[in-house]
Amino acid sequence: MKTGQTNIDTDWAWSAYQPEQPQDWTQRQVAHFYRRCGLGANPEMLKAGLQKSPVELAVGQISNRQESAQVEQESATLARSVLATADAKNLPAWWTHRLLNTSVPLQEKMTLFWHGHFATGAEKVKDAQLMFDQNQILREYALGNFGRLVHEISQDPAMLLYLDSASNRKVHPNENFAREIMELFVLGEGNYSETDIRELARCFTGWEIRRDRFYFNRFQHDFDEKTIFSHSGKFTGEEGVDLVLEHPAGPEFIVGKLIQFFIADEGLQDPQLIKPLAQKFRNSGLEVGPLLETMLASNLFYSEYAQGRKIRSPVDFAVGFLNSLEGSTNLLELNKGLDEIGQRLFYPPNVKGWEGGRIWINSSTLLARTNLMQSLLKRDETRFGQGSLSEYCKSHGVTTTKEAVDWFAELLLAVPLNDHKQSEIVQRCEMIDGSYETKLKNLLGLIVSLPEYQLA
Amino acid sequence: MSLIRREFLQLTATGSAVLGFQQTAPAFWGKIADQAAGQENILVVVQLTGGNDGLNTIVPYTQDEYYKQRPKLAIPKNDVLKIDNEFGFNPALDGFSELLEAGLLGVVQGVGYAQPNRSHFESMDIWHTCQRKAGDRADGWLGRAIDQMAEGVSTETTGMHIGNRKQPLAVASRHHRVPSIRTIEQFRLQSQEKASIEAMRSLAQSENSAGDSLLNFVQTSTTTAIDVSQKLQQVKNSKSTNVIYPESELAGKLKTVSQLIASEIGARVYYVEIDGFDTHAFQAPAHTALLRELGDALKAFAEDLLEKGMQEQVLTMCFSEFGRRVAQNASDGTDHGTAAPMFLIGSGIETGLIGKHPSLSNLDNGDLKFHTDFRQVYATILENWLNCDSSLILDKQYESLPLFVAS
Repeated sequence: MKTGQTNIDTDWAWSAYQPEQPQDWTQRQVAHFYRRCGLGANPEMLKAGLQKSPVELAVGQISNRQESAQVEQESATLARSVLATADAKNLPAWWTHRLLNTSVPLQEKMTLFWHGHFATGAEKVKDAQLMFDQNQILREYALGNFGRLVHEISQDPAMLLYLDSASNRKVHPNENFAREIMELFVLGEGNYSETDIRELARCFTGWEIRRDRFYFNRFQHDFDEKTIFSHSGKFTGEEGVDLVLEHPAGPEFIVGKLIQFFIADEGLQDPQLIKPLAQKFRNSGLEVGPLLETMLASNLFYSEYAQGRKIRSPVDFAVGFLNSLEGSTNLLELNKGLDEIGQRLFYPPNVKGWEGGRIWINSSTLLARTNLMQSLLKRDETRFGQGSLSEYCKSHGVTTTKEAVDWFAELLLAVPLNDHKQSEIVQRCEMIDGSYETKLKNLLGLIVSLPEYQLA
Repeated sequence: MSLIRREFLQLTATGSAVLGFQQTAPAFWGKIADQAAGQENILVVVQLTGGNDGLNTIVPYTQDEYYKQRPKLAIPKNDVLKIDNEFGFNPALDGFSELLEAGLLGVVQGVGYAQPNRSHFESMDIWHTCQRKAGDRADGWLGRAIDQMAEGVSTETTGMHIGNRKQPLAVASRHHRVPSIRTIEQFRLQSQEKASIEAMRSLAQSENSAGDSLLNFVQTSTTTAIDVSQKLQQVKNSKSTNVIYPESELAGKLKTVSQLIASEIGARVYYVEIDGFDTHAFQAPAHTALLRELGDALKAFAEDLLEKGMQEQVLTMCFSEFGRRVAQNASDGTDHGTAAPMFLIGSGIETGLIGKHPSLSNLDNGDLKFHTDFRQVYATILENWLNCDSSLILDKQYESLPLFVAS
């Protein structure tokens, strides 16, 4: 992340957004909220969102952590069949089912954030159950206490297998986990020394995975004194984690990453902007909920610094598309597509996770994004509101290609589409031979291939 | 090699022989030939991601210290593929050993940089951009070379990244969008209807979005993707090869590079990656497999280039973000280290070991000390192979190295 100063007034930035006039609070803003804090919004959600204030909208999502009984039940059934195959390759389909049906979208979005943050890859871990269990931990603490999440993750079998720490002996300890907990999980690069890493690695000696569970092997633990960040003591692994969590650089690092995830890919990594939120995060004992409450209802969140200032992740791109139009499709095919465009769930590219932003976009992923949309639209299994696209449009009073282009643009695009492009799309689709359904699908295909649609 | 250059070289060779001034002519002819070469030479970069263990790649098989520090990981003396009386290749690198015998491989030893960073991501960024963290990292060293080579030209195929994952920062350029291509076949829009491709291209064009905005970035990336895919549909199947590549991912990527070079699409820089070198635990089997993949793939690639008559036009450079600690750790692996060897493959390069192997006794906190800055390698390649002004790309003039056979 590139840091740099902005001229944004910090007090203004983090104050709650209060639309001056009722007409300033628009469907476009509610759609912006759900693109960032959820996984897209359908017309009903947009309508309901308009009845709430920005603060109510954010608080509603943060306090709602109970998935609906129906989704839980379906998800559990799917999980049983996936885990019975013991093949981690089937896990992405299980998760996308949740992403497409969840009643608590922010919780799922944050689970996705932590999955990228504490990136653990099934390619190496292999065990589907362990990957699944880690996903449950991420969901349980998604909006909870960061410190407790770090403690859980540091003894999570999948993580320790991934970072080669499943057996750590006191002679020549393995440094991998000690390095990444500082560099990638809590502090950020540059906030520790190589000596700190070597000393922290000594704290983790004796940590093992036995029969898929965390196990402390006292015979392999180094009980001697260690010195980390100038503190000396006979620290255990848990105390080592606490020392890292108490380091002053941590809250800034996490807040910066959350700003990038929720508000803008670029241009807002300003220490002055980060500081007040980091202070709040620190004072709350590293509670994620209150931090997000400020962030996701703020003036900055709804400002021009945020709107359209993110590239859609593959999940936002494909799941967001389906969710906005109440779509459903073949989950295995959807996941094949997500893999092609660079986000195979449970298989992050490395321990740094998905970096996001412009990195999502290259010529190969762009062609694959378009191809994914074309294949989704072509499949008979893809339904909108359980019917055809034209039926779905009609049920919302949209009956012509001209009306459709306006409606889709409002539902799907983070930046307005100019009149010239709108009419070009309509013209080109009217020239196509075929049914009204074919024309509509072509029209929708063109909209989701627009550069504008790549922005969140 | 293009027909023109090949004919030119043949002409000059026979011409000078006929005229009988072979002894005096090379200086003159050589200069012209080099200029022609400079405009067509191709660099292929192979990135070994994760930190390759240099000590188990080029093995100091006569040094007791090596065996003492690595009781379980050291390669036995009798197993190494000898380069000379002190050093040998890991036995999995018979591909490299053959390339060396053929006079096509050079090993630059002890490469690194001052105040080494042992974070994968930070160190890789340093290798890619040649900038420390506080510096401007908007583009990479190859991106800057691409901007220099293609200045004022609208072509988007001066550089190409083979793969569909994250594009390496090394090829990020200010003025050109470098395409990422997994395979030529895959690099196309499913719908090949002319009208719909035309529609997408037309709708993707930027109107009044700001030059550095995200929207402008996506717009130019989209038109580049469509244009390059259309261009590639035409060059597809231009030349096939009789060389059988191994079934590995890296071999597949290099095969694509060879196809693209043969298609005369005009790229000067190709970039491929092979991941998995972060061997913290149970290193031996993983590292062996990786080195085998690397050596076998590059050997097949060299044979393919030879068969196509393109061997003089292509230089391959392999690097990793760092080497590994001298001592092994308790999980039968090695942790992040510093200096390591780089590899150059091509017909005009100085073969064998270049520079000294770093000392195993004079260490910096358990790590090897570098003696050759990686930017010296870059500078030499930029100047002598790609005909670029390296000082503009690397911010200063680095001392060049004797990597190429003097012509």
